[in-house]
Amino acid sequence: MTSAEQGNSKIKAIIRACRLIMRMNQALPEARKSEAMYYQMLINYFTRLLNARENGDFVAAHTVFFPAELIYAMDMVPMHAETTTWMTALFTGECSDILAAGAELGLAYEICTPHRGLAGAFALGVLPRPDVMLWSNMVCDNTAKSGELIMEICNCPGFFIDHPFKDSEYERNYLVGEMEDMVHFLEEKSGRKMDWDKLSEIVARMDRQIELVREVNELRKAVPTPFHSQGFLELVSSDYLFPGQPEAIEYLETLKQELADAVKEGKGAVSNERFRLMTLFLPPMHLMAFLEKISQEYGAVSVVEPFFTYWGEGRLDPTKPLESVAKKSYMIPEMRMYGPMDERALNSIVDCAKQYKVDGAIYYADVGCRHTCATIKLFKDTLNNIDVPVLTLDCDVVDPTATSEEEVGEKLEQFFELLEDR
Amino acid sequence: MADNTQRNNVKLHTLDRFREINSTFPKTSQLLEHKRRGKKVFGWLCTYSPEEIMHAADILPIRITGYSQETELDEGNAYLYVNNCSFSRSCLQLGLKGEYGFLDGVVGGSTCDGARRLFDLWRNYIGTPFHHVLTVPRKYTEKAHALYYHEVAQFKKHLEDFLGFEITDEALHKSIELYNESRKLLRELSDFRKLDSPPITGAETMEVLNASFHMPKEIFNQWLKSLLEEISASGNSHTGRARIMLIGSVLTNPEFIKSIEKQGGLVVTDELCTSTRYWGDPVLLEGAKSPLEAISRRYLNNFPCARMFPSDERFNRIIDFALDFKVDGVISQIIRYCVPYCHDLPLLTKRLKAQGIPTLALDVEYGTPGSGQIQTRVQAFLEMLEAKRK
Amino acid sequence: MKALGIDIGSLTTKVVILENSRILSSVITTSGEEAESSAKEAVEKALTQAGLSFDNLYIVSTGVGRKSIAFSQQPKAITTCLARGICYLFPSVRMVIDMGAESSTIVKLNERGRVKDWANHDKCAAGTGIFLQQMARLMQVSMEEMSKLSLQAKSSASITSTCAVFAESEVISHVHREPPTPKEEIVAGIYASVISRIMALCKRVGIEKDVAAAGGVALNRGLIHTLEKEMGFGVLVPDTPQLVAAIGAAILAEENVEKGLK
Repeated sequence: MTSAEQGNSKIKAIIRACRLIMRMNQALPEARKSEAMYYQMLINYFTRLLNARENGDFVAAHTVFFPAELIYAMDMVPMHAETTTWMTALFTGECSDILAAGAELGLAYEICTPHRGLAGAFALGVLPRPDVMLWSNMVCDNTAKSGELIMEICNCPGFFIDHPFKDSEYERNYLVGEMEDMVHFLEEKSGRKMDWDKLSEIVARMDRQIELVREVNELRKAVPTPFHSQGFLELVSSDYLFPGQPEAIEYLETLKQELADAVKEGKGAVSNERFRLMTLFLPPMHLMAFLEKISQEYGAVSVVEPFFTYWGEGRLDPTKPLESVAKKSYMIPEMRMYGPMDERALNSIVDCAKQYKVDGAIYYADVGCRHTCATIKLFKDTLNNIDVPVLTLDCDVVDPTATSEEEVGEKLEQFFELLEDR
Repeated sequence: MADNTQRNNVKLHTLDRFREINSTFPKTSQLLEHKRRGKKVFGWLCTYSPEEIMHAADILPIRITGYSQETELDEGNAYLYVNNCSFSRSCLQLGLKGEYGFLDGVVGGSTCDGARRLFDLWRNYIGTPFHHVLTVPRKYTEKAHALYYHEVAQFKKHLEDFLGFEITDEALHKSIELYNESRKLLRELSDFRKLDSPPITGAETMEVLNASFHMPKEIFNQWLKSLLEEISASGNSHTGRARIMLIGSVLTNPEFIKSIEKQGGLVVTDELCTSTRYWGDPVLLEGAKSPLEAISRRYLNNFPCARMFPSDERFNRIIDFALDFKVDGVISQIIRYCVPYCHDLPLLTKRLKAQGIPTLALDVEYGTPGSGQIQTRVQAFLEMLEAKRK
Repeated sequence: MKALGIDIGSLTTKVVILENSRILSSVITTSGEEAESSAKEAVEKALTQAGLSFDNLYIVSTGVGRKSIAFSQQPKAITTCLARGICYLFPSVRMVIDMGAESSTIVKLNERGRVKDWANHDKCAAGTGIFLQQMARLMQVSMEEMSKLSLQAKSSASITSTCAVFAESEVISHVHREPPTPKEEIVAGIYASVISRIMALCKRVGIEKDVAAAGGVALNRGLIHTLEKEMGFGVLVPDTPQLVAAIGAAILAEENVEKGLK
């Protein structure tokens, strides 16, 4: 198998898996229509990637929190590097090969699995070779440093967007300047021009998209909460993969209606809601189904995820497209993890906990993620101050060998007992 | 193996002064003297913190480092978690234990994840009267320089507000002159090691650098001048099996360097932020719009940390030094979880190999004396280099 | 209805029977291969001691085997039971260190015996009873002798490895040194290493007085002495520290009886 074929075989596996889930969803009368729409979005995304070469499309690989709006506006095919790696691991069950390939490149064990796996995936040809590699330093050193090796492996040009640390007018202007430079770079490499009107449309939709997520979040405040525990991953992907895209708007509008109906009927995601949880950082991809099962069994639902679904304040102005894309990068939920961890950031966690009537919080401590783990004690103390207990679960977001369902189940059970006993 | 590094060499007495300073870390006698006179002492972390600005405000800037040896870091672990580098945990632990209680201010940059979290936790759990973190761009473009200049100006303003007086251009000029003098003298010290048989070892050089971080430059420069004279007059010469360049994460323990040199690996140069990168480039006033601009330009352009982009800037500088110092091999010591350095290693090794320079990659913890397994691997590396030489 | 708590550990099974918050009887036996039958045996023993029969009992089970016995009315996590148990014995305790055979658990509790937070070492052998047993075998002494030796030591040998496997080889090298390191110093070093693992766990959750120790390993006077030295204050140890979790389970059983639960 050539590496191109191998790359395609993994993408095909993802598409196949998504199709299967969608068909099962459609076979069940109770199933959410929005869930089917979500999987269709994924199918479209990966199909586009699969056929990019044939269609003469320009593939722009990019890292997480990179403004993919700009890629879409130039009519290019985005490849969200980390998500594609996660999904390859999740849907094909294969992870050890890409991690081993990353190690073979000389990348240390301490580099987090999404990024070690990313480099390994490109080296193995498991991901299609992009025309250009785009990355930024959002939100950590691993992301900042992954681009150059990938450029070398894939023998493609690349651009790094330097996102400044603090939020001030000066720094925002710097970021806009970075984005301008990137647009010039892309125009030069692809021979295409940035369609500014299209970008304005995308920004307008992105504004609506964020509003919709906020509205969905409002509905999740209901007791019992209407959205199931692992559902938030759909909200996350809808921004990572489809910023300002019409299908994302449709999906969110459908989801919103479904949740609104459920709230009106007093219908909760679990039959007996006992514990409302705050999820800090990401649960391991490979435990998704298991965690959903536990959620149903114990009546424990994740109602808010401050770093993944809880957007910062602000609206986007389509008449100022580039400034708006820059502004959006400061509003994304994960941005709370960047910038100085000051009173404001900590207060927003406390606000979340209060507004969503959170009983307890679970911190998924990914072994490779340094900057999030460094906040465990800080968040624990902050939440303990308002009498919200925090469970720390050592795990790895991509590598299933780091922990077992048994261990995780045991700890969760102990935690739920703690909450029950109060 | 052959340890003829010290056989015919005389003791350098001036080094004892530096050693005395290091032995009382962190509350060195010089620092205490400064405080006794009612002056302020600030702690800074990375080479992107502009010292001259603090100095111009009559503050003694000292470098925040961790314990001088590998040690239990339970408190550091509890706050920073075990997967942040042992350097950041070590610094935090010292802070949590009150060992840095004498600091009137802490200054850092948004340099890497370990550093920025160290500062977050410092602010929340230790608290120092003045606390400032500069945004440090990762690029060298004109826009990046403009941003960093803006940040340096903001820092200066914050400092002026805190102190209640203006930091004049005149004061900045004087500080630049003083720090440039330090850099010039440290470069002279480094140049000694270009010789085939250097009169001073890598370990001794580290001891000098360590002291420089914890005392006023006025006095340091004088002592260093004496040392340079003593070295010239000493007729000392150190030989070894191979000439080594030491690169990688923060290193302050001279024992580690000693353990390499004892086996015959002469550490003739390095790329450490606590050694060569510290003095790096001088501040150039010529052509600068203001002393502040000259300072910010120098600090951003200085011999890069692995956090900077493009990585080739760092790689090229390393290769320049390696060739200039006629290095036989490179030893890379990277602290576990030091992510920027880990990421650079594959490409850097490749570039060095293209120059015919082999690299030994070591995983270390901050403060390690370099014993046991590390010694074995170094020995094998040196043997290989020695054979290559022949 | 009488309340019975049973703690089924990997090495030992503990049973406690309560009536009106008073301990009627308690039993410590070796855990058998077959959890259900050996647990039943332990329960029978405790009942006999108290002069009671098997009916009219509310049973709460805890420990690794808590779910493997059909006759338990409710399985509870070890952390919940440790908190209740230690609160019953020493109401001022806010942190209990359970030194078990295979793992150590630190539980922070409030004044009502409710768990606030906990931490444990489940992947690592260092800091556990089994590790100490191994070391005793290596030094060719019994556990009691080892404890006595540590109290005699004037200084402790340095055992720097945080890993049990490497610590073992360090001990071996101390024993075979020329001249060999005095036995009591090696033991002191081993204990210091074990306690340092425990202290690291304690600092993770934040040390809060009063501190108590539970589990079989807490009977080791030498180890407790080392712990107190590190803590800088005294640590409360119950007369039968192995029973703390079983007592807690029994208290939970009593609470359920009061609530009228079946």
